[in-house]
Amino acid sequence: MVKQTVKILNRHGLHTRPATVLVTQATHFKSEIFLTYNKVRINAKSILGVLVLAVEPDAEVILEAIGPDENEALAAMVELVANKFNTE
Amino acid sequence: MQIIKGIKVAPGVVIGPVYYFERNKIPIPQTLITDIEVGIELDRFQKAIERATAELNQVRSLVVDHLDEDHAHLIDAQLMTLTDIELVKEVSNLVRNQHHNVLWAYYEVMEKYEAALKKSLSKYQAERLIDLHDVKKRVVHHLSMQTDYSVPQMREPAIYVGDRISPSDLIHIHHQKTIGIITQIGGMDSHAAILARAFGIPYLSDVAEIEVIGKAVKIILDADHEQILIDASPAIVDEYEIKIQEFNIQKHRLLNHKAPAVSRDGVAIDINLNAGFISEVNAVNPAQIKGIGLFRTEYLCLERNTIPDEEEQFRAYTQILKEMKGKPTTFRTFDFGREKLMAILDLEMFHTDTIFETWGGIRFCLDNPELLITQLRALLRASPAGPMRIMFPLVSNLAEIHHALALYKQVQSDLQTEGHHVAAKIPLGVMLETRTILEELPELTNLVDFFSVGTNDLALFLLGSKRTDTLTKNYYHPLIFQTIDRIVEIGRKKSFPITVCGEMASDPCAVLGLLALGVRSFSMSANALSAVSDLVRAVDIRKVSALKENLLTAESATLINAILQNYYQKYIGNGR
Repeated sequence: MVKQTVKILNRHGLHTRPATVLVTQATHFKSEIFLTYNKVRINAKSILGVLVLAVEPDAEVILEAIGPDENEALAAMVELVANKFNTE
Repeated sequence: MQIIKGIKVAPGVVIGPVYYFERNKIPIPQTLITDIEVGIELDRFQKAIERATAELNQVRSLVVDHLDEDHAHLIDAQLMTLTDIELVKEVSNLVRNQHHNVLWAYYEVMEKYEAALKKSLSKYQAERLIDLHDVKKRVVHHLSMQTDYSVPQMREPAIYVGDRISPSDLIHIHHQKTIGIITQIGGMDSHAAILARAFGIPYLSDVAEIEVIGKAVKIILDADHEQILIDASPAIVDEYEIKIQEFNIQKHRLLNHKAPAVSRDGVAIDINLNAGFISEVNAVNPAQIKGIGLFRTEYLCLERNTIPDEEEQFRAYTQILKEMKGKPTTFRTFDFGREKLMAILDLEMFHTDTIFETWGGIRFCLDNPELLITQLRALLRASPAGPMRIMFPLVSNLAEIHHALALYKQVQSDLQTEGHHVAAKIPLGVMLETRTILEELPELTNLVDFFSVGTNDLALFLLGSKRTDTLTKNYYHPLIFQTIDRIVEIGRKKSFPITVCGEMASDPCAVLGLLALGVRSFSMSANALSAVSDLVRAVDIRKVSALKENLLTAESATLINAILQNYYQKYIGNGR
């Protein structure tokens, strides 16, 4: 298991558009990927989970990957967050 | 007795039981299943998700083609929700472990997410809420295919009562023999209204006390007098029974009289039918009409909830031409307005997003040329079955018509190369509905063979009133009369055929005004054929033409209406 705390940079937080990008990318990996915010941990491959989490702008979240490609998965997710999910 | 008022959308009087349809109350059966049924239920779930996904993908490609990726993103989120890994897991667990039936399980889980999302969204205002309700509705619809909870289910002929009615619901209850419609929201020019008139179903909208009517057992719906009677005395019921009998006699007359419409002073007037369904064509006697002046081809899609392929369209058009027994049919190419697309694809987004307002007519087909090409292929292939004309809707400039004609020529030569028989000459026309096309009329007469004036949309574009506005009879506006006069003038100079269709041509009093302006061809819904034909027979064209100047100088719709009402009562009303 690998994990890293990151800051969400998107202007409106994790709203519908970045959320769809996150879920699409997460689904590409074999590993399980989780997102923790406000002590709630959700499956990052679930759009409903990500949306219900309602991560606000500048909030810190914990990314976590467990599985055969966990390192690549975590690296990809961290990069995605840094690039504002390629949406801004 | 209680009397509740409304606004007449389609005429007629009926007495019958009430069918109250509460859209948002989908009955979810909270029944448990057995061990053996678990597999079957999960299988149903998977199939429902597959169907809903296929539907949404169709919507997505339409949106991407026409709009942009930004709007498509909202649909992506919906698509993801359909197959959401956690959602599927939770639903499956409820079915497997708690033995909830799958519809119940799905509903429960979605409700939970909807509530959670609502709660979290109030914390920070998301730019747009993903439409979970739409997703839920779609899947529930597919899960309940056998029992169909999301569409009205009538067990006996009854009067539909509901907050509103969609065109597809209307078609559905028409098949279930509904005898009347009462809604809270609606409008004279909505597509549901056009359908109700086409099917001859009495319809009152803008009725306030829907719940009261919904609880009544038996009511009288008197659309002609814009009222609903609850708990009427036997004497009043008897009175209404007689009215209904008279109405049926009138209806019968419609099918039987055959004489063509000729004015008192011998001027032949073309009376054409507006139709969108084969059943409407079957319901009239072809001998009493000149032809079909407007066939709304997009209604073929409404019936099927999808856009039919070339073969299916070819069969439908051929059937119509054969039914018409040599009388000409004018096919209008697909006119997908926002409301129609809404009915076909049933997506909540179309209700709220204004961008779809301009998304209709020929523009939509030119943006999706494969749709128009398929349709033109089907039409041309059907052309040997009987005389046809083709017209393009909601054209707003010459470039659009050049583009449409180029596609037409391409289809024509493709079919010839493939060895299909195509009629030698098919007149092509334009629906005059937008303000901008009115400036191009002289040039347009060189490009096409006829015009058809669509008064509903013309009023919308010239006067700016919304289609769903309950403003009735806006076609009496001076601007409408002056515009039609200009069109008739241009037609007269060039001997160019002009037909007026739209609700205006179904109103005998307005037809009187159009005759005064020199219009000689009309196309109308079936229920107006008899009244308009009677009017034509009673009119002296030379005399009525004297009204023209007064009509063109009148300053208000009220005045124009008064001039025509007055003339009607004086010279025609008594004769009927």
